[in-house]
This record gives sequence, C-alpha cells and structure tokens, in this order.
Amino acid sequence: MLRITHLFLAVLFGAAPALWAAPVSPVAFDDDEEEEEAEEDEDEDEKDHWIAVVGGDVHTGTGAVLRGATVVAKNGVIEEIGWDPWFPEEAEIVDAAGYFVYPGLIAMEAAPGIVQGGGAVEEEDTHGPHGLDTQEIANHLARFATEPQPTQAAIEDSYDPFGQNLILALATGITTTVNGDAAIKLKRREIDDIVMSEGSLQSFTWSRRNPAGKRALREKFERASEYTRELREFEQTKSKDDEEKGPSDKGVDKQVLAVLGGQTRAKFTANDRTDLLSLARFAQEFDFRPVIEGCQEGWTVADELGRAGATAILTPRDTKRAREELQLETGSTIENAAILYRHGVQIAVVPGSPDVNLGGIMGRDLLALPIEVGFAVRGGLPEEAGLASVTTVPARLLGISHRVGTLEEGKDCDLIVTDGDWMHYETFVQYTVVAGKLAYDKQEEVFFSHIRPRPVVEVEETEDETEPAETPDEETEEVDDDDDDDEGENDDEAAGDDEEGADEGEDEESEDEG
Amino acid sequence: MVLTPKPMKRILMTTAAVAALATTTLAAPGGELVAIRVRAAETIGQGRIEHAVILIENGKIATIGQDLPIDRGIRVIDARDLTVMPGLVNCWSRAGMDSQGGSGSQPQELASAELYPRDKSYEELLEFGVTTLGLYPSGQGIPGQAVAVRPHGATVGEMIVRDNAYLRVQLVSDSGSKKMLRDGFEKVDKYDEKEAKRLEKWEKDQEKKKKKKKKKKKDEDEEDEDKEEEKENGEEEDDGVYVPEEPDADVVPFMQLRSGVLTALIEIRNSAAYLHLLDAIDEEEFGWNVRVPLRNDIDLYEVAEKIGERELRLVLEPRVTLFPGTRRERNLPRELVAAGAKVAFVPRSDSIRSHETWRVDVGELVAAGFDRQLALRAMTLEPAEVLGLADRVGSLEPERDANLLFLDGDPLEASTRVVAVMLEGRLVHGEVD
Repeated sequence: MLRITHLFLAVLFGAAPALWAAPVSPVAFDDDEEEEEAEEDEDEDEKDHWIAVVGGDVHTGTGAVLRGATVVAKNGVIEEIGWDPWFPEEAEIVDAAGYFVYPGLIAMEAAPGIVQGGGAVEEEDTHGPHGLDTQEIANHLARFATEPQPTQAAIEDSYDPFGQNLILALATGITTTVNGDAAIKLKRREIDDIVMSEGSLQSFTWSRRNPAGKRALREKFERASEYTRELREFEQTKSKDDEEKGPSDKGVDKQVLAVLGGQTRAKFTANDRTDLLSLARFAQEFDFRPVIEGCQEGWTVADELGRAGATAILTPRDTKRAREELQLETGSTIENAAILYRHGVQIAVVPGSPDVNLGGIMGRDLLALPIEVGFAVRGGLPEEAGLASVTTVPARLLGISHRVGTLEEGKDCDLIVTDGDWMHYETFVQYTVVAGKLAYDKQEEVFFSHIRPRPVVEVEETEDETEPAETPDEETEEVDDDDDDDEGENDDEAAGDDEEGADEGEDEESEDEG
Repeated sequence: MVLTPKPMKRILMTTAAVAALATTTLAAPGGELVAIRVRAAETIGQGRIEHAVILIENGKIATIGQDLPIDRGIRVIDARDLTVMPGLVNCWSRAGMDSQGGSGSQPQELASAELYPRDKSYEELLEFGVTTLGLYPSGQGIPGQAVAVRPHGATVGEMIVRDNAYLRVQLVSDSGSKKMLRDGFEKVDKYDEKEAKRLEKWEKDQEKKKKKKKKKKKDEDEEDEDKEEEKENGEEEDDGVYVPEEPDADVVPFMQLRSGVLTALIEIRNSAAYLHLLDAIDEEEFGWNVRVPLRNDIDLYEVAEKIGERELRLVLEPRVTLFPGTRRERNLPRELVAAGAKVAFVPRSDSIRSHETWRVDVGELVAAGFDRQLALRAMTLEPAEVLGLADRVGSLEPERDANLLFLDGDPLEASTRVVAVMLEGRLVHGEVD
C-alpha cells in the first residue's frame, strides 16, 4: 500500500512540470506531447545520444530505491529517473527488468594498466602495499613519491579505451578510477574527456618511525596557519586602499595552505594505532579533516578519528596481527569499518591490489572490489555505507561528487545493472553504462558470457498478462509487469541459470590464466 | 575465365597497335619483343585469364589477352603448363639491413643510404618471387623514408626503383609520439608563414627600389644615363624572380606529404593507438596507409568499422589471430576487408623462410575465408600502392614492368613451386621452355 502511494506521488510530481509548461506555449495540448515535439526538434539539430535503462530496481545511492523505474540520459547526463519517462525512439535501450541498477563504482586505487592498457605490469607492482609491514609500505610509498605524476594531457594521450583490463574493470562495475592523482572516467571506445579532476588529494607522510618528518610537517602547518590568521586579520582591518601590502607568505608551504583552506585534502598512510592517534590529534589541532589510507588499527582509536572528521580508505580483508605483549587493543578486525563508521569516520574501500590479477582464493585484486566491501558489511557496516564506500565517499575525495557517485538528474549517467545485490559473490554485472553509453554487456564479451547466460526474454509472457491500453512503448509494458512480481521471477531465473552454467565453469578459469 | 567484352575489345585494339609496331621493329633485327604463352595469368587488375598471351617489349608488358595471335618473327616463350602472376611486392622489409635505429623525428633520413647491393639475401628473395622490395628505415618515432628496390643489381643505383617510397611514422599512445606528428606539420606552417612575410617584404623592397631608381634617373646627368640604365636593367632582372628560402631538411618531407608527392606509412600496435592517431592527425589531409603488426592477441577488430569507413589500406602479416585472452581464432584481415579496408600482406618476418612460405601463409587465410583475388592482390598491387608504384608493378597490364612469376600451379597452393622469375623482361631465375 505504501509503495502505491509512492508511485502515485512520483507520477504526480513527474507530470507537474509538463502541466505548468503547457499554458506558456501558444498551442497548448493537455499532456506531454508539446514537450516531446520540442525535444525532437533539438535532436535533429545536434544528434543527441539518448539511453534508457528500463525497468530495473534503481538504487540511486541517495537512499531511495525506485522499483521498476527507468533512467533516461541524454548526451551522458541523466535527464530523468522515474516511471514511464519520455525518451526518443532511437534511444539506446538497456532492458533492466528484473535487475538492479546502481551508480557506477569508483575505485580509489587502480593500476595504470587499467587506464593505459598494454598489460605490461611490472612484477613488483602485482603486490599492493597492503598486507605488508609498515616499513615496506613506507618504501613502497617512497618509490611512488619520486615518480612524477602523469599530467592530464599525458593520461589522455595514452588512454586505451579497448584494453582487456579496462573491460574487466567495467565488468566489475567500476566506471571511475584514478591514475596518478587524476580521476578517470572509464570510457569505452572513446578517448575524449576522460580526466574528471586532478590533484584533489595531497599526500603527506606521518610515521612515528620518522619523528623528524613529523616535526617538519608540524612546522609547515604552524607556519601556514599563522599566515592564514594574519591574512584573515589583514582582510578584516584592511582599509580601502588597495595598495596596502598583505602579510608575507615567506616560508609558507602552498600544499599545506591548500589543505588548511579546504581546496585539497591531506592524505596520509597509517595503520598503526599510535600513528593514527597522533594523526587524529594533529588534525584536530589544525582543524583539517585527514584522509587516512590503511587505517588497520583505526577501530582502537575510532572516537578520536571521528572527532577529527577523518575519512578512512581501507581494505577490509587486510590483516594485521595483534601485538599480544601489549595490554592494548591492537591488530585488525572484521569490524574495523563498522566501528569507524559508527564513530563518524567516512569509509572508502579499495581493493587489496590495484591490478587485475587474481591473488588468493577469492581474489584480492581490483575485480574483487565488491567482495571487499561485502567483507566490511559482514563486519557490521550498514549496506548503504557499503555502497557509499565505493561511490559517494570516493567521489567526494576526488572532487567529482557533483558528477558521479549517485544516480540523480543532472549527474553523469554512469551506472551498472546487476542480476543481484551488487556485493553478493554470485552477482554478475550485466550491463555497465559510462557517460550515457553502453560500455559493457556481459553477453557480448568473452569473459563471463558463458557463465549463467542471460535468459532470452520471452515475449509471450508480456502479451499474456495485463494489456495496458495507454502505454505505447513495449519497454514500459515490461516495467509494469516486473513491478508486480519481480522478486518471484528473479528467484526462478537464478535457479535455472545455475544448472546451465555449471559445466562451463572450467573454461572460465583457464581463460583467466591466459 | 570469360572476360567481359569491354576489356577484351581494348586488348584486341592494343594488340593491333602493337602488331603494327612489331612490323617496324622486325625491320631492325634483334628487336626486343617477346611473347609468352601461359596456361593462365593472374593479372590482378583484370582477374584470371586462361590461355593468356603476354607480349613484352623493352622490359614492359605491351599487351596481355586470351589466345592472342602472335605475329610471325616474334620470339615465343612457350610456358603453356605454367601459371604466371605479377612478381611479389613486399613493402615492409629490412632484408639485408640491421635493426639498429635511433628515436625521434628525422623524416629526411633515407633507407637507401643503408643499402648494400652485394648482400646475398636479395638474390634469394628473388628466387622466391619477390621482385619489388620496400626497405624501411629502422628506429622509433619518425625514422625516415623507405626505398623501393628490385632485389637485383650490382650497384645502389641499379637496385633503386623509387627512393622516397613512403615516410615511416610510428605512433604509440603517448603525448610525445602524437606531438611528433603534429610538430612535423606545424613546422611547415611556420615555414609557410615566414615565407609569406618574406615575399611581402620582398615585394615592398622591389617597389621602393623602383621609386629610388626613378629619382636617381632624374637626378643624374644625361650623359651617364645610358650606361646607368643598362646596369639597372641587369639588376632588375636578377631581382625579378623571387627565390624562396630553402626549407630545413626535416620540413621538406612534411611539405611533400601535404602536396601528395609523398605518402606516410603509419605504424600502430593496437586499437587505442588508432584513435590517438586520428586525434593527432585531426584535420590534416595527406595520404597515409597503416601498418599493424598482427600479434596473436591484437584488438584491432574494435576499430575495424572506423578503419573501413575511411577505406584505409593496412599492411598486415597473413595470420589468423586470437581473441585476446582466449584460444578463439578470428580472421582479422577478412573482418577488416568486410568493413571496407584494403589489405596488403607482408611475410611474417624478414627471414628467407618467411618469404618462402609467404604465399602459403596467405593461402591459409584464404582457406579461412579471405577472398582469393584479394589475397593475390594483397601480395602485389596493394603493396605496390603503399610504395607508390602501382603504375609500374603489381599487376599484369600494358605499360607495367614485366615482372613475372612462373608457377607450376595455383599460387596459393603449398606444393606450388616458383619455376622462373622474370624481372623487367629478363629471366633472372630459373628457366622456361
């Protein structure tokens, strides 16, 4: 009953703009026709690309779940999400009936091989920084720190929109990733406008093994905040005379200043309880919100981290052994993400390895990102926070939350269509849409098409059931049908598919090795 | 094989013309007319002609047709049990050269500078039917220009058919590589701009000079005037023609690209590079073909449609490739042709063995569904196009060089041998008759 009211309200709101628009136009018809005509005219001029993802249960990422809804996008931007929205006939149609629709996932960490293809990954790079001891992590970071970050032009000029690893990332549901310090939209078949943002995070080192470095960083922050205070005072007391000199910015670290000013966020790598604690206090002292990668023992000092407004980038399946000799809580726990979240720490999840490379039984690589989040949810992280950990939270960190992370009108149409809950190990991404274009279709690629093949849609079914007199589009018929009994159908499909795919499982394994 | 009436008529007419010519040449003993009777001729340009007669004059094909009457007195080579086809053209080779090369942009470099005629490999290639060889400059970036040679001859001069056959450009997906190509054309733009300014300045100077002279004339004494005038006239003639400044050596090839004198053979390694190439070329218009080394796991099918739209010519190895990450085979050359592209085949490597099996390798693709006529064309006329020699080699048509392969069977059959090779009217390998 509640759902019906929702539906009714949505339809009412959806229709409202059209009703208001009607009196304005000289020849007013009483429904959407006027609007349609206007938009069709535009099409002829600019050849707009439309896509309609029809009839799925749309998890918008804002908390709302629109069952059997349709997402319509024009030129890569979401036009409308709702029931029975208008879209032109030539629109690309993705039939999501009986499936789930989620925002595209954002991988905060990915090997350059995903973006640049070629596949020539160094032996060293196949092992990520996680799961190693802190010294090794420091070495790893030092190596990265000395490597120059690729510029936007360099990334765009070397982007491989056909790479096998790229397709596998799309098959995982990842639509945005990072290369160097740039956020990359994983467009398929196109090389234009792939860099979404650059330099949103500023890396600093903070380790109790390096007290001199900590001291130096503190001095930098002190100088920068002193300058900020002076500047604010100057602005307040400044007379109208423009030529008056402001405070000297001598010795002020520009990067630190940007952090204090909120233009970028400071990123640290810390796993150790002591480091995390001192870092939380340091951040509170200078009033900035740190981003902490690793954060394995974060749960032991979660309250302090929460107070500091920290964001944790963690790999939930990483383990760190507890130091039994200490009368303290140490080591890693499955509950880490959940405890941090309860204390107000925002959680972003990254995979164990940024490569496409199955390490370990369940895979610790980029393709295991949903499983990684699932582990945090198993440890008590709310499911919504789980989705946010690979959508909205990374989007904010990368400074692209105005474009991606959730499904909302006006945002980029980057979405995935899955045949089950996105975190479930059995779930496959059926379709991935990037920038309003179908970038991955499970049945069209060699990787997973033979495992539980997508059932052929039976047209008879739709004809037998309710015959809608009003709706002209076939797609919308299916929407209505699925809205009534989609869950029951899903179960049936899943059961049938299991049997079909069982004998072909071996093939898939051998392909991965090759 | 039945010919369509139209070309038949043409051939007969040319025969008549040649016959007339023949009588005149007969008058002078030792004329260079030779007629060859064969079982069949794969003409490439006009399909297969059964019982063909080829008339050769001065190293060129004078006429070719089915069962043409041969005038008395013309020497006849009877090869009625053999099939002929044009000599093979390999447009992508480093035969007889090493693989060392620098990087960066040196478009003015010529591969012919490395040519060493006494290298044994050339004669061996000739034995396997390669009568035209495109030797490319090695190196990365834009390493220079290829040279088309006949693999026969004692001196560099005797070997070269065409220097400046094509400009080799290597394009990989990165900023530096794309910039190198753009910079080449930008330099031409800069030169043109400079020249335009110089020309303008020169014209102004000319006007000033004229004015000065007029003034001078008035000022000077009447006596000296005559002498003075003569001198001035002489000077004016010298200045009358504007001599543009010599462009830098590395600018010339790109000017030639624009004017169509030179074409480029652009090497890419995957589909992404193709998109980046289009991005780098942007609006620039010049003739270019594409070289793609066919690796097993190449993803070129991703851009097959786009390549087909432009009707590009691709230089490929005859090889059945695999779908990346699988053992699933795909006939990529066939897919590309179906999309609208043209294909030129090259041996799988520069080794003698690869040249020996070249025809068979191509036959493998034909067995996998590649069109037979296109396959023969891909070893002859298409690579000749790449080298800018389509009007000389690659097909059996009047006015083309008489480069003939005499084969004892179907050219694409594994058991078929090259019985003899004729290079520009002379038998250089084997014997017929």
